Amino acid sequence: MFSKKRVSVTSWPVVAVFLLPSLLGLTIFVFIPIISAVGMSFTNYSGGPHFRLIGIKNYITALGSKTFIQSLLVTVTFTFWAVLLQLLLGLTAALILNSKFKGRDMFRAIMFMPNVLSSVAISLVFMLILDPDRGPLNSLLTAMGLPTSRWLAGEKTALSSIIMVTVWQNFGYYMVLFLGGLQTISRTLYEAASIDGAGPVRKFFSVTIPGLSPVMFLSATIAVIRAFQVFDQVFTMTGGQSGGGPAGATSVLVFNIYKDGFGQLRFGYAAAESIILLLIVLIITILQQTGQKRWVNYDIV
Amino acid sequence: MTSYKNKLFSYIKRYTRIIILFGISCILLMPLVLMISTAFKPDSQIYDFPVRIIPKTPTIDNFSQLLDRFPLYTWNSVKLTVIIVITQMITATMGAYAFSKLNWRFRDSVFMLYISSIMIPVQSIIIPQFLIIRFLHLYDTHMALILTGSFSAFGTFLIRQFFLTVPDSYLEAARIDGANEFNIFFNIMLPLSKAVIATQVIFSFRYFWNDFFTPLIFITSQRLKTLPLGMSDFSTETYTYVGPQMAAAFISIIPVLIIFLATQKYFVEGVSASGVKG
Repeated sequence: MFSKKRVSVTSWPVVAVFLLPSLLGLTIFVFIPIISAVGMSFTNYSGGPHFRLIGIKNYITALGSKTFIQSLLVTVTFTFWAVLLQLLLGLTAALILNSKFKGRDMFRAIMFMPNVLSSVAISLVFMLILDPDRGPLNSLLTAMGLPTSRWLAGEKTALSSIIMVTVWQNFGYYMVLFLGGLQTISRTLYEAASIDGAGPVRKFFSVTIPGLSPVMFLSATIAVIRAFQVFDQVFTMTGGQSGGGPAGATSVLVFNIYKDGFGQLRFGYAAAESIILLLIVLIITILQQTGQKRWVNYDIV
Repeated sequence: MTSYKNKLFSYIKRYTRIIILFGISCILLMPLVLMISTAFKPDSQIYDFPVRIIPKTPTIDNFSQLLDRFPLYTWNSVKLTVIIVITQMITATMGAYAFSKLNWRFRDSVFMLYISSIMIPVQSIIIPQFLIIRFLHLYDTHMALILTGSFSAFGTFLIRQFFLTVPDSYLEAARIDGANEFNIFFNIMLPLSKAVIATQVIFSFRYFWNDFFTPLIFITSQRLKTLPLGMSDFSTETYTYVGPQMAAAFISIIPVLIIFLATQKYFVEGVSASGVKG
């Protein structure tokens, strides 16, 4: 009836020594802050001693504010394109680099490398490359007789430029995830498909794509969550503290939280914005958990 | 005939592949080459077109212009990254041991708390974190960065997953021989987990070396800035010193680049592990 092995219970002092360093730290700097962020979002706290509960007013203000809605739109646009391009390029690179050939490991390393570098350093180089007046890219376009662009300085092109840089830096990460996924597809499935007379195209759609579905789902979720948190590139490339790009074209959600919280000290309001970000991330995670069960083809793995 | 056709097809396939890969690699490497070459160019030649990869008159002038501030920024980055990574490994491995090899009440509920905090974006807790740091009189100190960076629920989770694969019978045998939990932790668990710890160390190193958001919030004094924060000052100055900017960017990517080239395997494993995080 009872468990066969009697599990001895560790004495509390021993548990405390092992557990407390991380538990205390996480409690003070993660668990308490997340509860306070929720609490603070219902107040008009601005750092001083006098503040009061104002219910969901911050949320109503945010959702009715042009700046906030604009930043949501900018973030969603950024997320859509960045995720789509990162996954497409990552998948393409993974498919090319999955077969064995000379130089494969070198190419894999090159594709992944930008991912490990500081996004501030990367941003500085791209500010040079994309300089609208004298930058090498515009010079190259002129030399080829093509139209130039204002890139980061243009209202219509600033966000696309940031998306480009982000994709440049990150698609290698998804390539590595996809390469891992490709390893899990059993070779016998391809052999079986060959015996049944399937060509390369048919094999791709009937074996590779379904076999990759778990990792694709996971990659998409990670990519979306990260895209919603974009900040460094935006801050560095389009104007720093007072930035947000030409006409707020790159004013993403986190930039708004930063500006309202630390620029204007509207802590309560910025907390509400940060809780909206948290809710978005939460919803995406839940969608992944439930969607995975419905859509992902695990039979084939 | 068919074999000839097949051969031709495989040739075309191979060469298209190489051309595509070569093209993508150029696009990926070009900005880095430009960064390094510009770092050694005098101001007047930076925007020359066609771009010269090898500067006409190489100079280290851009680096000497950094001498007043950047040695300090670099030292701050090195110091903070080392302290944070080490503290994080200590707290994470110890926590992982408590969650995998010790038996106590509430263990699973506390562990659930850890797991559920993994997905919280740092930006969602940054305002209360800032207020707590200010309350502790630690605003604009390195301690602020160390305290907020040293505790990782994800690191604990990752190492715990590995600890679980170590058979309990090893530990029971040691306990029968009279070893206490600390002996077991230091002499059995840690030596067995070198690979997972190395992966976590490399990932944390990269993260904190490159971290920009936290220093931006907690640090304002010039002398306390880290490399990414110091570099970002360039982007907001009215006149842009492109040469020194590229020199600084070059300095900041050297350590990560070296570690990446030396330990690619761990990076790849780290990515696969972070897949769990989703």
